[in-house]
Amino acid sequence: MKSKLIAGLLVTCGLLAGAQTLVAHHAGTMFDEDKTTDLTGTIKEFQFTNPHSWIQVVAETKPGEAPKEWSIEWGSPNQLSRQGIRPSTFKAGTKVTMRVHPMRDGSAAGNFVAAKFEDGKIVGRWE
Amino acid sequence: MKLLGIASVVVLLTAGLVSAQSAAALPDWSGVWQMQGGTVFDRATQTGQGGALSKGVREHPPYNAAWEAMYQRNLKLRDSEQLPDPINTCGTPAGFPRLMNVPDTYEFVVRPEQTWILTENGPNVMRIITDGSAHPAPEDRWSTYTGNSVGHWEGDTLVFDTVSTRMSHYPESGDTVLDRTGLILSDEAHVVTRLRKLDEQTLEARMVIEDSKALTAPWNVTKTYRKMPKGTRAYDYACAENNRNPVDAATGRTLILGPDGKPLGAK
Repeated sequence: MKSKLIAGLLVTCGLLAGAQTLVAHHAGTMFDEDKTTDLTGTIKEFQFTNPHSWIQVVAETKPGEAPKEWSIEWGSPNQLSRQGIRPSTFKAGTKVTMRVHPMRDGSAAGNFVAAKFEDGKIVGRWE
Repeated sequence: MKLLGIASVVVLLTAGLVSAQSAAALPDWSGVWQMQGGTVFDRATQTGQGGALSKGVREHPPYNAAWEAMYQRNLKLRDSEQLPDPINTCGTPAGFPRLMNVPDTYEFVVRPEQTWILTENGPNVMRIITDGSAHPAPEDRWSTYTGNSVGHWEGDTLVFDTVSTRMSHYPESGDTVLDRTGLILSDEAHVVTRLRKLDEQTLEARMVIEDSKALTAPWNVTKTYRKMPKGTRAYDYACAENNRNPVDAATGRTLILGPDGKPLGAK
């Protein structure tokens, strides 16, 4: 019951995190806000750091190709923690599908939109 | 000797009483606050749709022709994504009056002899001296990011006068802007701010900005701050902790560093 409540809170907070634009310490114009990309893979590291948090995800690619590491940028721990996000929200080794606004130049990086875990838990706005 | 001891105790007690009374008379601005609205510095004169980075968005301070031209140059650089925010270089303070226009949290620490404005983003510390001191003589002060501020209380309103902020012809020289449109002021900027609580949830800063080099008339800008829920905490904002967005000095564009520390997209 308690874990369900925590999960529910996390989803709610996550929705809030996705709903509110997180003000960045730099312009976000390198990301294509009109485009979203879904990446399925495994979390390598969650850098819960200033001025931005980064989620490193080793994403699956086409069959026969090696997996690729993506760098996903998010808000500062200060902003995110006030919306319920914690360092434990993205544990290394967890399978996840990440939705991002990709970089315009095609590099393996994006701006966080949402994440969906294998148990159905969602962080951010998954629409 | 005994008489001197008693007199000392009386003086100390009196001083303590006066201090306590002064402190008790000060308004309660405790808690954690957040600026309302986006980070366009002067929303009242904004034209164009969107935020400070949106093409076409600008403000209309009463600039003279030379400073209007400099602002237009910055707007063009902003439109081509070549006007990096100077605070992207971690450790560069926002400076005043920009520190009244930053995201994340604010704290207003009111003491009889000084009031401090603490901004989580940056971080920035603004010290306003209210012990009756005047500004140092012109030859005894120099430009700093927050300048020199002296103030006094008019009832529950803190009125403070700020001079000696930094000159900024950013990006050709200096490293302060008022927002990401590229709005700038000179080292002659003189700001009188009236800071007061409108209600339990709202603080208001009314600024009248004069600048003999840049402006042809006083420029009035008002910012408001909303109290965040009880229990909200402010944290460190150590920008150099993991800054993966350095500015490319050659192009003025902001980079993203990959997990190997090298810029992504670099050929």
